[in-house]
Amino acid sequence: MAAPKINPQPWRWNHPRVLVEEPDEAAGLAIASALRFSGYAVGVCPGPQGHGQCPLTGPGGCAPAHGADLIVCSLGYEREVAREVLRELRARYPGVPLLVEVPSEIDAELQELLDGCHRLPAGAGPEQVVTAVQSLYGHVSQGNPAGA
Amino acid sequence: MSRRGIPQVPSRFHRGSETFRFLLLVMVALIPIVLVAVLGPTWLALVVLGFGICALAARAVQLRMRRLRDPELSVKMAPPHLGEAAERRVLVVANDTLSETSLLGEVRRLASVPHTHVLLLVPALISPGERLTGAGEDALAQARVRLSRALGRLGADRDIKGEVSAAEGLVAVEDTFASFVPDEVLVSTRWERAAGGLDPRLAGLVRERFAVPVRHLVFEFGSVAQEPDQDAEARYQREFGDAAAWRFGLRALAGAGILAAVVLSAVALITVAERNQATAVSQRVAAQALPTPADATGPPAKVIDVSVIPEGKKGPEGAMHDDFTVSEFHVTVGRPLTLRIDNTDTQPHSISSPEAHVYIIAQPGTHGYTLLVDKPGKFEWHCEFLCDPWAMEHVGYMRGFITATPS
Repeated sequence: MAAPKINPQPWRWNHPRVLVEEPDEAAGLAIASALRFSGYAVGVCPGPQGHGQCPLTGPGGCAPAHGADLIVCSLGYEREVAREVLRELRARYPGVPLLVEVPSEIDAELQELLDGCHRLPAGAGPEQVVTAVQSLYGHVSQGNPAGA
Repeated sequence: MSRRGIPQVPSRFHRGSETFRFLLLVMVALIPIVLVAVLGPTWLALVVLGFGICALAARAVQLRMRRLRDPELSVKMAPPHLGEAAERRVLVVANDTLSETSLLGEVRRLASVPHTHVLLLVPALISPGERLTGAGEDALAQARVRLSRALGRLGADRDIKGEVSAAEGLVAVEDTFASFVPDEVLVSTRWERAAGGLDPRLAGLVRERFAVPVRHLVFEFGSVAQEPDQDAEARYQREFGDAAAWRFGLRALAGAGILAAVVLSAVALITVAERNQATAVSQRVAAQALPTPADATGPPAKVIDVSVIPEGKKGPEGAMHDDFTVSEFHVTVGRPLTLRIDNTDTQPHSISSPEAHVYIIAQPGTHGYTLLVDKPGKFEWHCEFLCDPWAMEHVGYMRGFITATPS
């Protein structure tokens, strides 16, 4: 299958790239900061509640997800739209590991959706996210991030 | 733009290929205008020119709307932290507020925290016109002076560096993310955008695009720093985004409508002027053709008295309608017929027959006109000035016939 044509390509840094799907702006920035100080380039997406239509629901796909090395999902999966995002991520980018913050109670549908995903407990702090990312990706040596 | 040393204003005309494309585009656009102006009527040249201007304006509006619209992807990005974990890198973006003592105090406070590096970024305030032409040395010089004075007041004992950028505010910040890699951004502006000042909306744009904490501090002359509340930020936000883009688009559409009205009015005026000129020429030709007193051998010129009377004639339905008291004219081809028209109305009326090349505009009052037809036939004439709509459509009122017989 031909590679999806996604333009523009938003990632500019060669360092490991982590996309954080987090609807809460402050929480997203806190996770981003922790990841940045651990050597990761980050992208923070508020999920389907951001500007306009979520690109995952269109034919073009999501450029940041396409270029990510790992995706952290904290969208709250009580809502169908959040599950749809997770479903699309799994279907479109099967090679990108997903680290999903899961609620304490999981229904059968979500259980099936989460099969094969790495899980984080609900309410995980930035340090826990970093630890989980590092366990999946490995520690990153710091260097000059400017090289694109 | 050079990131090191003296920045230059990035202009598309600095590249030969861009300049060549621009000149080619101008020439291609000018060719039809010049051709029509030389070969065609004036009104057509104006219409073509109007189309050209509209196309340029539409492109400018499109570019402006693209800049105003929300980013396609609402994803904030940031590179990994640069340096040791204990280090902090703070980017301060300012220009006209660099003279504020309270801002310099805030910069000193930031720089006094151990392992903190501060970069003062001063985007030069270059207008779009200067940017297009590559000018803007004044803005760059002003930014350099402001930065130099600020660094002088801050002293050399702290880790504070400065940089002037020729790029626009957001692009300048973006460049800095590739070189300085800030962990925090502080944008300093006035409450409202002033001439020679940074746009207060810049903070919101930076916040929208970069996954680092962004503070917006507002400094008014001589006052302490203030952070805009949510209402102020929301107001700044409203000036960007899809809604703002559409508002701008609608305003541009209204402007285009006004411009189109002006162009059409100009075309109408020119057309009427050209017709009047044609009539005048026709009348001059007729006057030359009329027998002079010395030329007494020919028959005396015939004069027809005509009146134009508003609501002067009863129609079949009983209502009164505008009329020419004479609506049937009989002439000999090439022989002028003098009409003494008493237009009792306050507006002009006309005897217009494009087929017979007759355009007589009867001004209010009594004046003499010449009716001259250059080919035989029966031609319908009508009044082309908006008056009584019914009468304009009916023969015997504001419409009639000219019958020209061969000499």
